[in-house]
This record gives sequence, C-alpha cells and structure tokens, in this order.
Amino acid sequence: MPRIEIGTWAAAAVKWLQSNVDWLFGFITHVLNAVYGFFHMVLAAPEPLFLAGILAVLAWWLRGFLAAALTFLGFALIDSIEQWDTTMESLSLVLVACLVIVVISVPLGIWAARNRAVSGAVRPVLDLMQTMPAMVYLIPGILFFGLGVVPGIVATIVFAMPPAVRMTELGIRQVDAELVEAADAFGTHPRRTLFRVQIPLALPTIMAGINQVIMLALSMVVIAGMVGGGGLGSSVYDAISSVDVGLGTEAGLAVVILAMYLDRMTGALNQRVSPLGRRALAKAQAALGGLKFLQWRPATSLAMTGVVVLALAAGGMNAFGSKGSDAAAGIGDGRQINLGYVNWDEGKATTYLWKELLEQRGFKPKAQALEAGALYTGQAQGDIDVQTNSWLPVTHESYWKKYKDKLEDYGAWYDKTSLEIAVPSYVKGVKTLDDLKGKGKEFGGKIVGIEPGAGEMKIVKDKVLKDYGLDGEYKLQQSSTSSMLAELDRSIKAKKPVAVTLWSPHWAYSKHKLTKLKDPKGSFGSGDGIHALGRKGFAKDEPQVASWMKNFHLDEKQLTSLEAAIQDAGKGHEQDGVRAWLKKNPGMADKLAPAAGSYAKGKDAGAAPNIGYPSWDEGIATSFLWKYVLEQRGYKPKMRNLDVGPMWTGLSTGQVDVEMDAWLPVAQKQYWDKYKKDLVDLGAWYDKTSLEIAVPSYVKGVKTMDDLRKHKDEFKGKIIGIEPGTGEMKRLKSKVLPAYGLQNMKVTEAGTSAMLAELERAIGKKEPIAVVLWSPHWAYDKYPLTKLKDPKGTWGANNQIKTVANKSFPKKYGEFNDWLKNWHMKPDELASLEAAINEAGTGHEEEGVKKWVDAHPGIVDEMAPVK
Amino acid sequence: MSRLQAEHLYKVFGRRPDDAVRKLENGATRDELRAEGTTAAVIDASFTVDEGQIFVVMGLSGSGKSTLLRMLNGLLEPTAGSVRFDGQDLTTLSPKELRRVRSQKISMVFQHFALFPHRSVLENAAYGLEVQGVPKAERQKRAHEALELAGLKGWEKSWPDELSGGMQQRVGLARALATDADLLLMDESFSALDPLIRRDMQDQLLELQKTLKKTIVFITHDLNEAMRLGDRIAVMRDGRIVQNGSAEDILVRPSNDYVASFIQDVDRTRVLTAGAIMTDVASVLGSKDADGTEISTAEQFRAAAPATVTKDTPLVDLFAPCSASAVPVAVADAAGELIGAVPAQKLLAALGEPEPQAQDAVAAVPAQPAPEDKKPVATDEAAEDAASEDTDGKDADESKVIAGA
Repeated sequence: MPRIEIGTWAAAAVKWLQSNVDWLFGFITHVLNAVYGFFHMVLAAPEPLFLAGILAVLAWWLRGFLAAALTFLGFALIDSIEQWDTTMESLSLVLVACLVIVVISVPLGIWAARNRAVSGAVRPVLDLMQTMPAMVYLIPGILFFGLGVVPGIVATIVFAMPPAVRMTELGIRQVDAELVEAADAFGTHPRRTLFRVQIPLALPTIMAGINQVIMLALSMVVIAGMVGGGGLGSSVYDAISSVDVGLGTEAGLAVVILAMYLDRMTGALNQRVSPLGRRALAKAQAALGGLKFLQWRPATSLAMTGVVVLALAAGGMNAFGSKGSDAAAGIGDGRQINLGYVNWDEGKATTYLWKELLEQRGFKPKAQALEAGALYTGQAQGDIDVQTNSWLPVTHESYWKKYKDKLEDYGAWYDKTSLEIAVPSYVKGVKTLDDLKGKGKEFGGKIVGIEPGAGEMKIVKDKVLKDYGLDGEYKLQQSSTSSMLAELDRSIKAKKPVAVTLWSPHWAYSKHKLTKLKDPKGSFGSGDGIHALGRKGFAKDEPQVASWMKNFHLDEKQLTSLEAAIQDAGKGHEQDGVRAWLKKNPGMADKLAPAAGSYAKGKDAGAAPNIGYPSWDEGIATSFLWKYVLEQRGYKPKMRNLDVGPMWTGLSTGQVDVEMDAWLPVAQKQYWDKYKKDLVDLGAWYDKTSLEIAVPSYVKGVKTMDDLRKHKDEFKGKIIGIEPGTGEMKRLKSKVLPAYGLQNMKVTEAGTSAMLAELERAIGKKEPIAVVLWSPHWAYDKYPLTKLKDPKGTWGANNQIKTVANKSFPKKYGEFNDWLKNWHMKPDELASLEAAINEAGTGHEEEGVKKWVDAHPGIVDEMAPVK
Repeated sequence: MSRLQAEHLYKVFGRRPDDAVRKLENGATRDELRAEGTTAAVIDASFTVDEGQIFVVMGLSGSGKSTLLRMLNGLLEPTAGSVRFDGQDLTTLSPKELRRVRSQKISMVFQHFALFPHRSVLENAAYGLEVQGVPKAERQKRAHEALELAGLKGWEKSWPDELSGGMQQRVGLARALATDADLLLMDESFSALDPLIRRDMQDQLLELQKTLKKTIVFITHDLNEAMRLGDRIAVMRDGRIVQNGSAEDILVRPSNDYVASFIQDVDRTRVLTAGAIMTDVASVLGSKDADGTEISTAEQFRAAAPATVTKDTPLVDLFAPCSASAVPVAVADAAGELIGAVPAQKLLAALGEPEPQAQDAVAAVPAQPAPEDKKPVATDEAAEDAASEDTDGKDADESKVIAGA
C-alpha cells in the first residue's frame, strides 16, 4: 500500500491556517472571550445564595414548587462544597457554547431539511464532529485560539452541536406535509411558512435537540478544564492528576447538579416556549383538580419580576459589599501575569509562591494548572507568560525542542532533581537497579511508567532496561502520571511489590516509604534542572519580573518546607500556605522580588518647571523620561510640545524653563545666536549625533554615498525626505547631493512620519529604499539599516544634543539644574528608550518610559541623585 | 361563462418528463412509461368549469385526480398544457404572482382538514386573510362571519383538536370561504368523515352554494357524493379523463364498461330526476284516466295526475304517486307550466342497468332533458374525444378486470 500522507497534510493545513487565517481566529477568540466574559460577569456577580434563589424562582416558574426547592438545595450544596466559582465558570462556558450552537445549528438544520444535498453533505461532518476524540483537535485548537476558555468553548461546540442540527432537521421534516401544503395553497411565502408553521410545530423536537446539546456540553467541561478552560473541569483535572478522591467527588457532584438542573429546565422550557407545549401544560393542570396548590406556578410576568428583584438585590449587595479591595499599587500597576503549571507539587508550590509575590508587588497574577502539552503549546502561543516547572534538559525535552524558538529560558532555580525507578521499601533486597534482575515475576514483569511522551520514559526504555539487562524480563507500561500514582497507592495498600518510574522531588516520597533504586551505571544521566521559562518577549514586556525569575533560586530545604506549608493549608488555600511560609522566612519576599521601593523626595519637591519639547523622537523620549524622574522626586513638571521657533522664543522669555533637544552647534545655530543672551547652556547629554542617508541592510553593495549613485536605479532615482524646511533637507540639497553628483535624484518632501511609514512598508516588502535619517533615531533600533558613509564630509560637523534653559533656571531650580548638568545618555540607552516609547504608542509615552525605567533599575538615582 | 379552463394538462413524475409527454402524445401507454421509471399521473386532461358550477372529478385512488387538482392552483407545475383562470394562464406566472393569485382568488379544502394545531379555530379561519395582510380587527370579523356561515358560531376560541372531524372540516371550509376566493378547490374534503356527517356537510355545501355561487372543483372517489354535488362530473382513470358529463349522462350513458361498472351500485332513484326521464305532455293526451275519461288537454292531465312535481324531483319520490294511479305524474316548471309527464313504465325502465354506449351514441347524445341551468353535454369536445379514444383502446380488457374484481 502506498502511504497516504493524511497526517502530513493535516499538519500542513494547520500551519497554513495558523499563518494565513490568524485574523479570523483572533476575531473568533475575541468575540467568544467577550461573550463568555459577559455571562461570567453576570453569573459570578451575585452572592451564591441569591443566585441560587434566582435559579429556584426560574425552576418554580418552569416546573413547580418541588423543583424550586430542590434547585435551591442543590445550588446551596455546591456553594457549601466550595465549588461555586468553578460551577459558575462552567455554567458560563456551557451557556456560551449552547448559544453559539443554537445560532449555527438551527439554520443549518432547517437548510438540511429543505435541501437533500445539504442534508447529505452535513451528515458525515456531524459524524466526524461527534466521534473525533476531542484531544485530537484540542491541541491544534490551542494553536489557533490560545489557552484558556476559548478552545474549551470551541471543542464543546464541535462536540455538542450534532444533535441540534439533526433534531432540527428531523423536526422540520416531521411537520405534516399537508399543513405545509395548506400554507402554500393560501399563497404563504415560503419564509413565512417556515417561521409561522414549520418552526412552531417543530419546536418540541428542536428543544429536545437543544436539551441534548446542553447535556453533551456539560460532559465536555472536564476536557475543557485540561486546556485552561477553568471551571469544574479544572477541579476535576486537578483531582485526577493528584489522585484526590475527595475533590474529584465534589467537583463531579457539582457537574451532576448543574446537569440535572439544566436538563430539567430546558425540558420544561419547551412547554413554555412552544404553543403546543403551552396547551398540553394547560390541559394537564386542568386535569389535576384538587392538588393544584402543589402545582401552582408563578405566571411568567410574576416569575420575571421575582428574578429581577432578586437580581437587583444581589447586585446591590455586591456593589456595597466589596469596595476598593483591589486598589492595585506598586510596580505591577495591576498588570496581569499568567502563570501556568503542570500539577506537580514543586510546580504548584513555586507558582503559588510567585503568585503571592507578584500580588504583593501590585501585579494581578493568574495561576492555572494545565496538562503538560497544553502548557507548552499555550506558552508558545503567548497565553502563558511564565512557568516555573520546566524539567530540562531531559524530562521536557520534546516540548523544549519543539517550542524553544518561542520561549525564553530564565535558567534553573533548582538543580537537585533526579530520575529514578522506585519501589516500596517493604520490598526487601531491592536497593539498586541491578537487584531488579531475576525478580521479574515478583513485579509482574512490568515497570509502571507515565505518559509515553515523557523524557524519562525514553531513557528507561532505551538505556536503563538495556544497561541492566532487564530488557526481556520487564515491560515498561505506558500510562499517565496519575494512573501510575494510583497504581502505586493500590499496590502499597495491598503490600504488593511494584516498580514505578519516579523523580525527585516528588510528594510520593513523603507520602509513602519508597526506595529510590541506585543507578551505579549512571544510565539515567545527570538530573534535570527545574527551569523557569517565559514566553518569547516577556523579558521585554515585563523586564522586572523576568529579572526576578532569572535570579530565582530555592534550595532543597526551602522547597520542601514550602511544599509542606502548602499541603498543610489544604486544597484551595494554597496561597495561605505560601503566606505562612513567607512569614516563617522573613526577608524572603524582598530577596526573591526586590522592589525598587519608593523614591526619596528631591529638595525642590513640589516645584513645577516648564519643560518644552519638539515633536522629535529623542526630544519626546528624554523629556518624558525627565518628567517621570522628576515626579518620582516629588516635582510637578509641566510639559509643553512646541515647534522649534516658538520653543526658542519661549525659552528666551522664560515661558519655557528648559528643553533637552537643542542640536548645537550646527543645526539650531541661528536660534542660539539670536537668543543666547537670555539663555544658559547646561551642556551636551549626547554627542554622537549625525545626519545621513540610510538604506536597509538587505540592499547589498550600498555602503557609501558613492555607492548610492551607482545603484541609483534600484532606488528608482528617489530619496525619501522629511519636512522641507529642516536644516538637514536644506543641507542635503545644497551640499550633499551636488558633491556626489546626485542632483538628478528626486528627493520627496514628506513629513518625518510619512518617511518612517514608507520605510516600514518598503522593509516589509524587502524593496530597496533610501531615506533621510539622523542619529540617534529609534529606526536604527527597530530595523537593520546601513548609514551611508560620507567620505567627503559634506554633512558637516556633528551636532551635540544639549540642554538649554532660560537664564533664570539655575537659580529657580538649583537641584534640577545640577541633575541636568551631570546627565548623559549612551546611544543604546537612548535607542531602547525611544523604542519603548514608540511601542507604547502616542498618548502612552509615560507607560513606555515606565517600562524602560523598570528595566533599568537604579536609573532614577543615577539621573537625579538625592542625599 | 367559463372561468376555469384546463387544456391538455400533463403531469409526469420522474426523469426527463418532457420526453415522456412526447411519448404519450405519440401513443405510448402509462405502463410503458412506468417500465422506464417515470410515472404519468395526469395525461392530456382538458375541461372547463363555468362560473357558479360544482365540477366534480371522480376516480379511484391513484387515478391522478389529486394531482390534477394541485395543478389548478399551481401547487404542482404541469409538465405540459395550461391552466387558465379568468383568462390568466397560471402556468406562466412567477412564484410571487402565483402566490398572490392563491391568496386572493383560489382557496382549498383538504382531505385531512390540514388545520394548524398551534392556532385556535378563529386564527385558523383567519389564516388566509392574515396572508393577504388584512388588518387584525377586520380579519377577525370576517373569520367570525365565515365560521358562522360554516355553522361554528361560538367555537372561535376552541382548538382544532378539541373538535370532532366534521367540525374540523367546517373550520377548513370557513378558512377557505373567509378569503372570498372565487375558486374553491376541495380535495376529497368529506371522505374522512363518517357517512351521516358527510351527508350533512354535502347538504351544507349545496346550501351555501345557493347563495355564494362559487366556482368549485371537488375531488372525490365516492360516486354518490359526485352525483349529489356535481353539476358536471369528470371520471378519471389511470391519469385520463374517461368521461365528462352531467350526472344523468354518466348514469344513463356511461361511455365505457369502466364507468358502467363504477355506477352500478349507485342508488339511481336518488340521482335521476323526473326531468331526466319525462316524456312530452302530448304523449299522455288521448289516454284515459282512472275513471275512464279521456284526457284531451293539458289541464285535464294536470287534474288527473296523481302528483305534480318539478323536473328536479328525484325518482325516489315518484314511486308512491305512480303506484296510486295509472295516470302519469305531471312535471311542471317553476312557473307552474306543464313541461312533461312520467309514466310508470318509464320509471321502471330507468331503474334498469344501462348498456355502455358506443362512441357514436355518446357523440349523438342530444341536449335532451337537461336541467335548465346546465349546459349541453357536447360543449367540451376535447374531453369527449379523450374519453372516446380511451374507449377504443382499452375497454375490452378493462371491463374484464372490473368484472373479475
């Protein structure tokens, strides 16, 4: 048989979709997230018992008093077993998925009912959707939709949609043909026939389909939890992966209560929404006679009033109840950091440790437990910022290999790990791997392994079994970490011999008495380090956090005591455990996450100097930098954006106290000469300026102005210029071009921003382009550009960038004056500052500055020292 | 004036229906087509229906009568031929125009009532008006009136499934009447009802028709019903119209064995009327009355006759008077003028089975004792032709089949 490369094609298709239809997935993600957010906001807002009351009123309306009472009890139980928040998350997820399903499937079902070809085409697709194992499309789903609730919703939609389409089709087809013909015979438009005859009559069947959809959607909740969908799925997943029977039961029970409620309510909803259902209901009630009291149900209007009153009361309580609890402060400024972890003890411990530390520093961290594959895929996608649980180079080798381009390694925070095979201590005479030989029968000829993709499994199979000659005697059994642990637990209870693949640190060693089998031949190799990984670009976005991660280190004692503290605090209270541990280790928080602390006030705190700045990048950058620094020192600087001429005039009259962007002695000589009697020169803070023509580095063979002449045609005889009145443009036309025989090149006269836009466009398309540029400029930081050499020196002497102030300035602002006099910036500092501001975008300059300052600890003290 | 005309209508189901029509025109039989997988439901049907007439199409199930009916309002598109209503060819209309015609000019009553179970009786009756876009208050008023006409006053708020079959069909009738459509298509409308109620409904339809004067096409498989209701009756068999005439024509002059065997169980005394069998008044003159006096004038005849009836009086009512006297029963018109006489021998002869008539006999049927407001039989020549062709081709074996059945 020839090999049909379906797998390769599928992988290629996924890749293609990822790179070409990304906007669509982005859009879908955005919409689903927004809708989910809305539902969740509404459901999570009220106090649990209030919402239980609302749900009970709905049950009363739909089914009667008994149902209402049971509803209230059921939801109260969910609250009591501490599954309320997760239940509401799951409920939101189910509702969003069902909403989308109804919107898609009902029209599709109608179409299929009216068109045989559509029906034929839809059926196999529905089969595929219903039977393809969810994990198969869930992991690619992460590539498209990122981690979190969206891939969960999408997977739920895929899995739960088929019955809705099928039942809609069936319902429409089942409507008596004579009725449709009757409508037709009276000249009804087909659309009207559909909406007024077919759909109302098919409604009971359609509702039965939707009821099925809801039940199927709930069954997908657990799967959604494995990819960060949150909700009851996370609780269940958490329970499975740590073999926690109690938690599993509670979360499972919550799923059941939710499922029963939704099932009964949608079943009853049918009676309320379909005309036929309403009639059947009225009949049943009429037939009941004496027992009416129990069957009494509030009328729709009354029930809705009840719901609204309860909802308002709940909303009101909430509004008064929690106020100002989350005033974000400190370095984090309320920015969110997503922490992900595989549910292993050390991962959980360190993740919650960092969650607490980041909260103390004013961030809003979010921690979520994920399946390992989902975690790495999600982090590569950028949905997870940091994980502290990467076992490298062995255990997580496969993931690292695949995604290392999209991840940043912050180094190992723990390096005393080891991989091993462990047996219960009651198995006598087995201390080393050699001892296993010949005891295959005792152990049932097997070693209980973990997930087949894990690095340890590969080592055991390829090296350990061979090196110790255990090959034929033992079979390495693939399973999962949780199954392995369950098997270990079971065997220990039965006092049976068992050999498992394990690693240190692991909580199993503290729970059970186990012997780590010695590995005299060193087959397992040296142990892994546990690394902290960031997504690509995280260090740039959150330099402070990244630097904390890079310096993060725990020794064995610290780690085990942290794990123990978290165990003591109990499930769901991990952070309390962390707090207790931090209390016992004073100074730890500051050591792990040193805060810059608040700045001391300057001498002239409260002073309000007027800082003027032109709309040039280095002017904006430095002025906003000084604004930030001054504010840290308690100043209240005022910023004014001015054109060059007015700026110098303002400086001379004292309306502007100081500016940092004076290009002297050449470019702005005229102004200096004119106003110098009213000004003081506070010195140059930057002297590496130059004017030049620049071309992208991919344009080969163009290094000097002479080369430009030779390659003129490549540039279509064009140089992209800036504002026509600037000194640089004047100099270009009068001196530079004639000296190199380039008079016949056309210099376009656009603005600076137009020039930069054109540069970006050309670079995007890899076209040759020559632009008028100057150093310093952030464009050099952003793109690979070549400054064309000017061997004839036609651009003239280099400028310095100086700080110039009104002559009254040194007296009025003595302290600031001193700071400015000693201030100096290096080219890379300026370039990165400009880039940070540019990235933050116009109107957000201060955020860019702040980020840059965070990445340059100590810069405030350096620029503005106070005693 | 003819309001509805069907000309050479064909309906063929299956692949390449146009080819099949061509084959049928060239003499292919229905069975030959069935072997090819196409079904000819209606073959070359032509007829006209006059204003105010009840036109009954009668045939056994599978004879194509329902298909024929559905081509009249465009629910089924004819494979060939045309349908003209008020001079407008329905087969050429766009779907939108066709819907307009259906909602305003043609309404339909169904075999199984086809009431909307999710609408009350009143809403059902008002359905056609709702489609027309009549404002709510007016359509409720008109639906009330229609329900009253149909004898359902007081049931407006009930639901269809709370009514008996007969009442449900009254709702169906009210729904059809409410739109004021001129053409009423009734598809075996009374077949699902039990016999007594069916009779009631027939009476009511005839009663309504006296005042409303709708043009009605009525489909049935029940010959007695056809005879009771039909001003004209078309008998269909295997997709073709085999005879088209008045009730008397069918009874007295069946065009072939098939029709003859069809009518053998009919209670002829209730269908045939005095007008159909009466002789001239002159034939009585010269005879003697019970006392032996010679009857020489019409006035004497009237005085001597055991009874004077109208020409619409069914034969069943003539037996008693006839048996009481040797003098024939007198027949008078609405003005009281004597127009004929029914002697006892003639009455007995009419009860006998008629022999199927040869083609020339059918063609030669004179416009003899036809009721005043009915057109002569021979108006629809096309239908006659079709019927007679049929007689030529297949009669021999068909009659065997029926005789054997």
